[in-house]
Amino acid sequence: MTDVRAPETDPFDPAAEPDDHPRPGPSSPGAAFGPADWLKWGWRQLTSMRIALILLFLLALASVPGSMLPQQGSNPSGVQQYYTSHPDLAPWLDRLGLFNVFAAPWFAAIYLLLFASLVGCVVPRTFRLAGSARTLPPRAPRHLARLPRSAEYTTALPPQEAVEVAARVLSGRGFRLRRPDDADSSQDWVSAEKGYLREAGNLLFHLALLGVLVSVALGGLFGYKADRLLVQGQSFADTVSALDEWHPGRFVTAADLGPFTMTLNRFDASYIASGEQRGQPSSFDARVTYTEHPGGPARTFDLDVNRPLSVDGAKVYLIGHGYAPEFTVTDARGHVVYKQPTPFVAGASGNFLSEGVVKVPDAQPEQLGFTGVFVPTAVNVGGTLESVFPAADNPAVSLIAYAGNLGMDSGAPQSVYELDTSAMHRLTASPQVLQPGQSLKLPDGRGTVTFTGYVPWVSLAITHDPGQLPALICGIASLGGLLLSFMIRRRRVFVRARSGPSAQNGTTVQVGGLARTDAGGGFEAEFAGLAAELRSAHEQAAQIPPVQPPQQQAAEPRHEGE
Amino acid sequence: MLRALSRGTLPARALPVRARRRRRVVLAAIVLAGVLLIVVLVTSLAGSGNSGVSTVGGNASTVVYQAGHRPLAPEFTGTTLTGSKLSFSSYRGKVVVLNFWGSWCVPCREEAPILAAVAGKYQPSGVSFLGVDVRDTTASALAFTHSFHVAYPSVIDQSSAITLDFTAKVPIAGTPTTLVVDRTGHIAGAVFGTVTYPGLTAIVAKVTAEGG
Repeated sequence: MTDVRAPETDPFDPAAEPDDHPRPGPSSPGAAFGPADWLKWGWRQLTSMRIALILLFLLALASVPGSMLPQQGSNPSGVQQYYTSHPDLAPWLDRLGLFNVFAAPWFAAIYLLLFASLVGCVVPRTFRLAGSARTLPPRAPRHLARLPRSAEYTTALPPQEAVEVAARVLSGRGFRLRRPDDADSSQDWVSAEKGYLREAGNLLFHLALLGVLVSVALGGLFGYKADRLLVQGQSFADTVSALDEWHPGRFVTAADLGPFTMTLNRFDASYIASGEQRGQPSSFDARVTYTEHPGGPARTFDLDVNRPLSVDGAKVYLIGHGYAPEFTVTDARGHVVYKQPTPFVAGASGNFLSEGVVKVPDAQPEQLGFTGVFVPTAVNVGGTLESVFPAADNPAVSLIAYAGNLGMDSGAPQSVYELDTSAMHRLTASPQVLQPGQSLKLPDGRGTVTFTGYVPWVSLAITHDPGQLPALICGIASLGGLLLSFMIRRRRVFVRARSGPSAQNGTTVQVGGLARTDAGGGFEAEFAGLAAELRSAHEQAAQIPPVQPPQQQAAEPRHEGE
Repeated sequence: MLRALSRGTLPARALPVRARRRRRVVLAAIVLAGVLLIVVLVTSLAGSGNSGVSTVGGNASTVVYQAGHRPLAPEFTGTTLTGSKLSFSSYRGKVVVLNFWGSWCVPCREEAPILAAVAGKYQPSGVSFLGVDVRDTTASALAFTHSFHVAYPSVIDQSSAITLDFTAKVPIAGTPTTLVVDRTGHIAGAVFGTVTYPGLTAIVAKVTAEGG
């Protein structure tokens, strides 16, 4: 973090400088080191600044695989691709939780330890800072000339009055003052300190930091994240059975989901048609209609990549899109047993060459299955279809048909993007290419499959994070506190007045000053100005003695100082 | 800085101090690793209950609501797979078995023959059966009802809006879910997951026996 170190010790005493490193370690010779000492030592280690920094670094390091490997939550198809391309490595990575880094136990371990470390460090510090913000300045040192800044002059005022005048000036400049105690009245001095806002800023920074941690925890416990793939023209309600993925916080149940419903009316994506950027997306626009609660008024909204919809405490983000080719399948009896747009997912090869499967579990006499590739702008390159542009300018699908047992009548739930062909046999020797409107007749009178067209789909991320706004506020507050603590210096000014050796010499006024945390300078000029001001105030006061004026100087124009 | 300076002026102590500090760092690293390991174990044990979708499973849980504690089933209207309008309020005064299903859902396909058998037994004695077809298409759903000889109607709930209404009353977390609604329109029992023949018939028999 910063050098925000609780200033509980006096800067004049380097030996008392607070030491960040925990001291009586097990290596210290002598007394036996019991379990309680170990515990104490461990806690001191954990809450030390160094460990906090190490944990912060570890946290950053631990999130690296989260951005380098596809993640289960945000990119499940990417994970599947990784499994097929690295069949040996992927299970091990999965065992280590690297496909779901932010939910992995070891990530939580670092996070929780950091949390404990910060709380253990910040809470006592907060108390110390609060105490420090209320302390009085120390007593004036005896030899002010030894301070980094000092000045000395004489005045005709008696010492007590000189100090009085100085106190008035300093108090007028916003200094906090300390005068000798009653028992100490033989001395004439005043200590003044300014810049307590630095401690306030420090305090704000620490409290806000705690606030950020609490907000993040709040979001983790009471928030949820969900994904839903929505085909153009379809609707969904924010309820668990309508979501593809649902990751609730620890205290979130199915009943906590917001009761909104949403329909995707239209999705448009446009791409740069020429030049070096050809094929790059230039704009997305998902027009949705939504109602906040059943029976509520329907509203429309244009979702864009960085323009989420806030509805009912949740935020809906547009995070992806693709094509859903529409198929109609008739079986051997001539019954239409499948008629729907089927979302295909774009692979790594670019230009939205997408893959998907069609499962027809109720076809007679045997179940049917198809694996397919959707090519938005198809070009035949040496017998294989390739996509040369992401927009659907010349769409085509290529299908391989299977018949047999899909494995859907019992057993584990299946992915809609995978076809288990272990109990099926292939009906077509080679992939069959279809253009919109074209049909493929299946052998042995098993029926037909027709590629009737395509519609776009979008994938939506629905998040509810009650900690988001508090985290933002605390973040801003911590930044403000940090700025305050960086920009404001604690500085002290002391004034001592002593009677001179003889009455003619008057009173010697010594002014000394130091900035307690001076990094950049600037105190020099402030001190010089302050010393000059004190001097002129003393001169002025000496010319108008309040008690026994030696001579009347009514016409004297310098009155304003009084 | 000041500390470093003062140590610098004491060269005789410099080496042991450095050695001691190094040992401390090593110890700190060991302790940190140990604590990390413990926290990993604890969180992996505690975190297992929180793994996303917990919906379609073979293990069903059955809830029976006692009279007086039964949530009121919400009213809904919809279109059946065969295209006619259906209003749930027209079932008032009858015991209704309400099954949330989808042709794509493996456990729904598993329980379909059981439901058909229970329907065959209780429909003659006045119990109504109604399906709510969730996230499905008409073509696939009709093919399903043909395959499994489902003799009762189903309303289309492609958007899960009807499911959402019911979720406010009972924690429906997916398909299949089967509710038994009593003659006053209150939910008397719920099976979350695949039904069993004895399990479902027990609830239906109990609610039917309540007179009326």
